[in-house]
Amino acid sequence: MRRVVLACALALAATGRAEEAIDPREQQLELLRAEVASEVQLQAAELIDELVYGWTLRAPFDVDTGVVLAGVSVPVSLGTGLEAYLETHLAGLVTRNPRTHLQLVHCPSCSAWVVHSGATGTVVSRGFDAPEALAKAGLSSGAKHALFLDFEAEGSSLVLRARLTTLDASLRIVSARTLSTATSAPAMLRESERLTSVAEARKSYLEALGGRGLFLVPVRIGVRSYAPGTQTSINTTPFLWVSAGLEAAFSQARAWTASMNAAFSWLPQSHVAVMAQGRVARLLTGNSTSLTWPDLYGFVGAGVLFGQGRGMLIFRNTNPTIDDVLNTNTNNEPRATLGILTVGLELRVKNRIGVSVFLETLPVIETTDNIGTYVDVLVRFQSFGVEVSFCF
Amino acid sequence: MRLASLLLLSLSAAGCALDPVLFKTREERRNLDCYRLAQADAAARFPGQVPPQPARQIAGENTDVLTCSTRYLRVDERPARDEAILSTLSAQVAGLAETAAALVAPGARWHVDAFYPSLPVAQKIAVAARTSLAERGLEVSDRVPTLTAGDVAVLATLPQSEVYRVACARSFSTSVMGPDDVFLGLMIVDPRETALHAGLCQRGAWRWLP
Repeated sequence: MRRVVLACALALAATGRAEEAIDPREQQLELLRAEVASEVQLQAAELIDELVYGWTLRAPFDVDTGVVLAGVSVPVSLGTGLEAYLETHLAGLVTRNPRTHLQLVHCPSCSAWVVHSGATGTVVSRGFDAPEALAKAGLSSGAKHALFLDFEAEGSSLVLRARLTTLDASLRIVSARTLSTATSAPAMLRESERLTSVAEARKSYLEALGGRGLFLVPVRIGVRSYAPGTQTSINTTPFLWVSAGLEAAFSQARAWTASMNAAFSWLPQSHVAVMAQGRVARLLTGNSTSLTWPDLYGFVGAGVLFGQGRGMLIFRNTNPTIDDVLNTNTNNEPRATLGILTVGLELRVKNRIGVSVFLETLPVIETTDNIGTYVDVLVRFQSFGVEVSFCF
Repeated sequence: MRLASLLLLSLSAAGCALDPVLFKTREERRNLDCYRLAQADAAARFPGQVPPQPARQIAGENTDVLTCSTRYLRVDERPARDEAILSTLSAQVAGLAETAAALVAPGARWHVDAFYPSLPVAQKIAVAARTSLAERGLEVSDRVPTLTAGDVAVLATLPQSEVYRVACARSFSTSVMGPDDVFLGLMIVDPRETALHAGLCQRGAWRWLP
């Protein structure tokens, strides 16, 4: 009895360890993805992806060669709608991947039934089975090769058999390949224009899965410059800022994000400043972030800046005097506290790195001319900034 | 929607396994295909479902994962004999093609056809055999030697045990097949069987593959 209890305890412990090692969010994503990706048409498309990817690495022909897509046959008992989908998918892939050196040729007579009578008798066959008959009838497309794709469901595996044959009397097979889905692993759904190997696609997927948390820690390095004023001889120096914060997405799509940042700026003999800022960003290039292309966000934000030092003189509502400038008493250094409103654009790559440009308005100093205006659209934007961000 | 794979972890450390198959109906279980994988492979193929291999297991302890997937077509969707043939098509054809390739000297031009009551299934068998032979580097043609209508009419009157031998001899004597041509025929001999047989025709002589 004691041994049974011990065995069960060990089993529960082992199960617990296994479950703890799996992120529930990853598990849900993977299950959802597997449900979608295990559809037979996606698995078939995956096999075509792999076939064409193989051709991009080792093309069946050295030069561009016209090929007739002679036939796509699907597993016995599945419908012909799948054939049309797979033909279209293959044509799209071949068109987007010229390294295959295949040029699909339209040949309606190749798949038509032809009747050919000669000295040896009358033969009824498909056009691609009697290319000499097509040539005599003047119906040849000019293509010298035909491509056949045959799919079959073998248990839980989908098997693709592809062969390229010559369109002459010999009908010789010049290239053949058999591909099978690997133990029903979900399709990788590769991008057609930049085909990668299964291993690379899986790695990208895992990276994307790992990098898709709802929370990010952005670290930003940026510079803000202020437009020179018209009523003062003080030239504003650009402020260098380093900030860090927390960014939250409302969903895995990351269409909307919100972030809070704390920033710090210091320039010897000029200023020491801190800033707290909040931003709300909206994805402009779609409804979800791309795994392969950069994403463009538009954002608005608001913040509070506090600083002290000579550099803060420009943020006063009065024109600085020579006494203000020459005042070196650290106990009486100029100080400024002001609010900031921000609008800008941010270009991000896979939520890892980004670059942003923005304009800021300082409502507190709207009435002074210590700082000029870069853009005046409804409000005056006195500051222009650029940031580079790294997200962790 | 096709059901995603079910994973059954066999953790040798615990000495027992979780069995989600218990929650399946009998029909659902019949439509499962199961494979056993090393845990490292399973973790790579099913991220999020199978945890990475712990370090102590990488160091020596072996664990494996049983992955069960639903068949693309349920067992009752196709005729039972067709399903049995098609489900094992790759394995059966690969074995026969390998045997055939070993019996014929290099340089021959191969022709392949299959004889099966269902034409779509016969074409699947023939395509699988052609592809398998071509992948072995052999010269394979898509062209199937065809006899005249008169020959076919005579063959139809012969017992099945004689048909292939006579057809082979006739193909060579009428120059449908040349001395460098080899014909591989795949067929079922008994309508009740689900195992494929194959025969070779070369220079007018027919022989069954062992």
